[in-house]
Order: sequence, then structure tokens, then C-alpha cells
Amino acid sequence: MMIPSRLPPVPATGARAWLRDNLFSSTANSIASVVTLVLVAWLGINLFSWMFFDATWQQIWNNLKLFAVYRYPVELLWRPLAIIGMVMFLLGVSSGITPSGETNITRGVFWSFSGLVFLLTVLALLSWESVRLGWVMVSLACLAGYTLGREKPIVAKALPWLWGASLPLGFVLLYGVPGDAGNILRVVETREWGGFMLTLIISVVGITVSFPLGIALALGRRSKLPAIKYFCIGFIEIIRGAPLISWLFIASLLVPLLFNVSPDRIGPLLRALVAVTLFSSAYMAENVRGGLQAVPRGQREAAQALGLSGWQTLKMIVLPQALKAVIPAIVGQSIGLFKDTSLVFIVGLFDFFNIANTVVANQPESLLVTGGIRLELSLFVAVIYFFFAYRMSIASRQLEKTLGVGER
Amino acid sequence: MSEATMSHIVRADAPEGGEKIIEVDSLNKWFGEFHVLKDINMSVNRGEVVVVIGPSGSGKSTLIRCVNRLEEHQEGKVTVDGIELTDDMRNIDMIRRETGMVFQSFNLFPHLTVLENITLAPIRVRKWKKSEAEERAHYFLGKVGIPEQANKYPGQLSGGQQQRVAIARALTMGPKVMLFDEPTSALDPEVIGEVLEVMVTLAKEGMTMMVVTHEMGFAREVGDRVIFMDSGQIVEVGSPEHFFSNPTEERTKSFLSKIL
Repeated sequence: MMIPSRLPPVPATGARAWLRDNLFSSTANSIASVVTLVLVAWLGINLFSWMFFDATWQQIWNNLKLFAVYRYPVELLWRPLAIIGMVMFLLGVSSGITPSGETNITRGVFWSFSGLVFLLTVLALLSWESVRLGWVMVSLACLAGYTLGREKPIVAKALPWLWGASLPLGFVLLYGVPGDAGNILRVVETREWGGFMLTLIISVVGITVSFPLGIALALGRRSKLPAIKYFCIGFIEIIRGAPLISWLFIASLLVPLLFNVSPDRIGPLLRALVAVTLFSSAYMAENVRGGLQAVPRGQREAAQALGLSGWQTLKMIVLPQALKAVIPAIVGQSIGLFKDTSLVFIVGLFDFFNIANTVVANQPESLLVTGGIRLELSLFVAVIYFFFAYRMSIASRQLEKTLGVGER
Repeated sequence: MSEATMSHIVRADAPEGGEKIIEVDSLNKWFGEFHVLKDINMSVNRGEVVVVIGPSGSGKSTLIRCVNRLEEHQEGKVTVDGIELTDDMRNIDMIRRETGMVFQSFNLFPHLTVLENITLAPIRVRKWKKSEAEERAHYFLGKVGIPEQANKYPGQLSGGQQQRVAIARALTMGPKVMLFDEPTSALDPEVIGEVLEVMVTLAKEGMTMMVVTHEMGFAREVGDRVIFMDSGQIVEVGSPEHFFSNPTEERTKSFLSKIL
């Protein structure tokens, strides 16, 4: 005798049922809900009234250029803007080529950054005369890139090359071409760089360079050749054994010594980049190693049994699976690196965070005594950091989800 | 059993007159201090189906893995299709191209679709055109009975289907020998049949096969010879009938009584 299937009991729906089930299911839960609600409301009201009635945002508005690029010459601001335009253009193409409907991580990233670009363009049109044209061009680049990707998906083939070329091209644009002073491409020394631009440069270079370095170190650590293996172990353990701040100190003193050049020849930016990249690559190596260990031995054996070479096995079977397993860790590390760049004041650089200190230090005495505008500045800095860090975190979750298709 | 029979080396040579494709000569292997394979002498003729049985830990999987050098041996000689396995990577790669292997745990690549799993090696190793490799892949997927699963990921298939994909993956390379390392041990009982069916078809078509398995039904139906191993050595060799009607060695009898 078969028992006929029945439908499950219908759950209660609606706001009341949800509240009862989730917030007021028991006495303890009800108390916790009410207390939390009161606390959040109290904090929210206080913050709100402070933000709109007590805080002075004038100094942030006045110093925005400092926050963005520090002492980069005003008449050359089109150069960093051109880089933003180039990156947004490529991002637009990358997100345009995938058919709509499919979840696409680049597209989410592209539209949130485009939103920021459009907002800044409006602000520029209203009040920033020197970069008005530049921001309009960046906005157009966003739209042009997306449209191009949409209409001519064939350009997808050139994308890896274009992305690869964008990094050196960006550097040349920012730094300029030596010789011929007065030229529009005249050199801007790295000590003039700073603000959010510098934070982005250090994070992007640090992450992109430390990624392949980290993979190489992780593989080296598993090598059968003792010389390579112990070098990698030594490197990773020594680098991880001391805080970033000490490596920044050491880099600023040791690099000129090692390469036997006077400290003036190697700018503080290069020293900071070397320290940050090496530091990050040691952590990256350990993340990647975790991923390598997560790939079952059978995967390598199956590839070998099919006649794939060691290199092919690594590239097509082991690494894709290993890296996928450690995406959360790698993104977490990238977010950490993005924020850790604030330590570069050690080598005399003014990144985004340290601009806030500069601004505070230059305020009139009266403001300093009353706690001044430090809170406003800190809040502003935190919100900007949060926007980028949170965006990375969202992208990482989407990436995990997309790559998880058909997982065992 | 006397000391003399214990130390007596049993040879599992292929019948005379055939063309030997696998030759294992005085093979010895250690895992650290542990002597896992002891003086193994065996060979397989082209077109033969050899079934290796034995209790777990007897070294049968290690033996089959020595044939395509997934395990390195320390003493003796392993020759496949006239090429001796040495440290020379070129020889190893040549042999691996000609031997297909099917594993207990399938070992499909989870990040690639079924079709990509199958065409990867033909394209990268055999240097076939993509269209040619895909055509052959579809042919063998049809042969193992799952032509409609080509664009799925391994994780979306049942165990039996995954193992059949693994067989198709090995066959698409056009191997001269197929090695099966306990292909049905990780499967649910109700899907073992569909995998065995594919293997029986292969055997009947004349594929040279070396199979480590506990499936006596398979051995009885298509096996030419059965090799029984225990504690790293070959204990008894014979036709399937010999094993099922009158095995001679005590250890064989006790093993068979447990699994039959």
C-alpha cells in the first residue's frame, strides 16, 4: 500500500509572522530585539544630528584635490584622469561583451564605479573648473567602452593584451617622459604623488605583482629541489615574521645600500612598492599553498595518466582548482593590503589616510583644541575606504558563486 | 604451508605465441621501509584481459600503478609496448599516452565540463584539432551510453555516469592498453552494473585490459587470466574457472571464501 504524497503545511507569511518568528520568538529574543533597536536608534539619531548640525565638512571640500592626488600639478591632472578613463573604458568593454542575463562580476564592478564616475562628473561640472573636461571625458569613456563591448564582442580577444598594456602605459602617463621640460608629458617626480591616487597605485601594483610572485613561492616551497625549497621557505617565513612597518623601514634603508646607489636615486615610492609587494607575496604564497593542498592527489595523477606534462598539469588542472579554493583568502588579503598602504608614511609618502593628518595639522589653533575636524576627516576617510573594500568583498562573493557551478 | 612454498616465486607469464605488451620482470618496490611489491614477474599479451585480485594492502593497486609510472619502482624492469620505464621523462610520457587509466575515485576534473575533460588530453597531448577531438569524444560518450551529458560538469552526474565519463576520457586517447584500478569500488551497488557492462563490451571488442577488481562476475565473464596477490607477492595464477572450481593455495581459498 503506497502512502500518497501530501503538500507541506503552509507557513504563515507576512510582516507580522516574520517579526514573530525572527525577532519575538521567545522572551529572551524579544528583550534582545528591543534593546538592540533602542541602541541602534539612539546611535543613529546622535550620528545624524551631529552630521547635519554640528560637523564642519568645509575643510574636506576645500582639500579634495589634496585627498585625491596630493601635490600632483593641477595643469597635469588630465593624466591621472586619462588613466581612470582608460581603466573604465577597458572595464566597460569587459562587462559589455558578456551577454546580458548571465551573472557577471565585471559588470557589477563596472556599474558601481561608473556610478561614482558620473557623480564626480556632476560635481566637476558644478564646481571643479580644472578637471571639468577631464571628468566628462572619463564618463564618455565608460559609456564608449560598454557600447563597444556590446556592439563588437570580437574585441574580447584583444582584452588580455590591452589590460596587460594598461599597467605600464598608466605608469608612463603618470610619471611622464624624461627630457624636454615644459612638455605636456613632462616628468612628475613620485614625491609629488599622493592621496587616494597613491593608495590605489600601491594596492594595485602590490596585488598584481605579488599574485604571480606568491604562486611561484608556493610552488617553490613544494619543489623537490632543496635549494629552491629552502630559499622559498626562508623567504616566506622571514617576511611573515616581522610586521609590514618594519619592512618599510628596512626597505627605505636597505634598498639603497644593496643596490649601492644614493638614497635620492631610488624614490620613496619604489622602496615602498618593493616592501609592500614582497610582504604581500609571502602571504599570498601561504594562501596559494593552502589551495594547492586542497587539490586531491588523484587530480594530478589523472592528468599525468593522460600524458599531460608537469607544466600542463599545473596550469590546466592543479592551479585553477587551487586558486578557486582560496579566492576568499586572496580577496581578504587584497582588502588588507589596500588598507595597510596607510603605513607608507613611514617612508615619507602621503597616501590617502595621511592626507587627513596633514589637513588637521594645518588647521587654525582654535579648531585643534576643540577636537577640531579630525572626526569629520576620519569619517570621510573611513567611508571611502569602506566603499572600495566592500565592493571587493561583494565581487569576491559573486566570483565564488559563479565559479562554484557544477562543483562536487 | 611450509617455508619453501612461502618463498617460492610464482610467475604470471602470458601464454606463449602472443605479442607481449606489458612485461614486468623481478619488480620490487618499497614505501619507505615497507616492502610492498616482492619479486613480481608477469606479462600481458595484446588483446588479453588480466584480472588482479587480492585483499586490501596486498599491493595490487601499487602494481597496476607501476605500469604507467604513477608509482616509481626501485628494482626490476617494467616494459610497456617495447619501451622500458626509466627515469627518462620522454619514455614515461610515451607510455602514458598509450595506456589509459581508470581510477577508483574517477578523478574527473571538476572545473571542466564532461566534454572538456575528455578532449583536454587529445588536444594538448595528441595535438588533434578541437573539432576532431570533440567528434571522437562524442563517439565514445555514446559508446559508454551517456551522449547527452557532454556539457554538464562532473559534479552534476551520478557516480556511475562519472566513471563512464572517465572510461570515455581514457578511450578517446586511443590507448593500446587500459588499466582499471578498482573501477567499481566507490560506486553504489545499483550502478556497478552499468560500468561493468561498458568494461565487458570493451573486453569483447579485444581491448587489452589489466583490471584490479573484486567483481568476480566480471572476471568469470571476460577474464582470460586471474592473478591472486597477497602481501606484495603473486600467490596464484590461473584461468577464472580454475579459481572458482579448485584454487590450490590456502590463502586463495580463504580470500575467495570471504568475498564470494
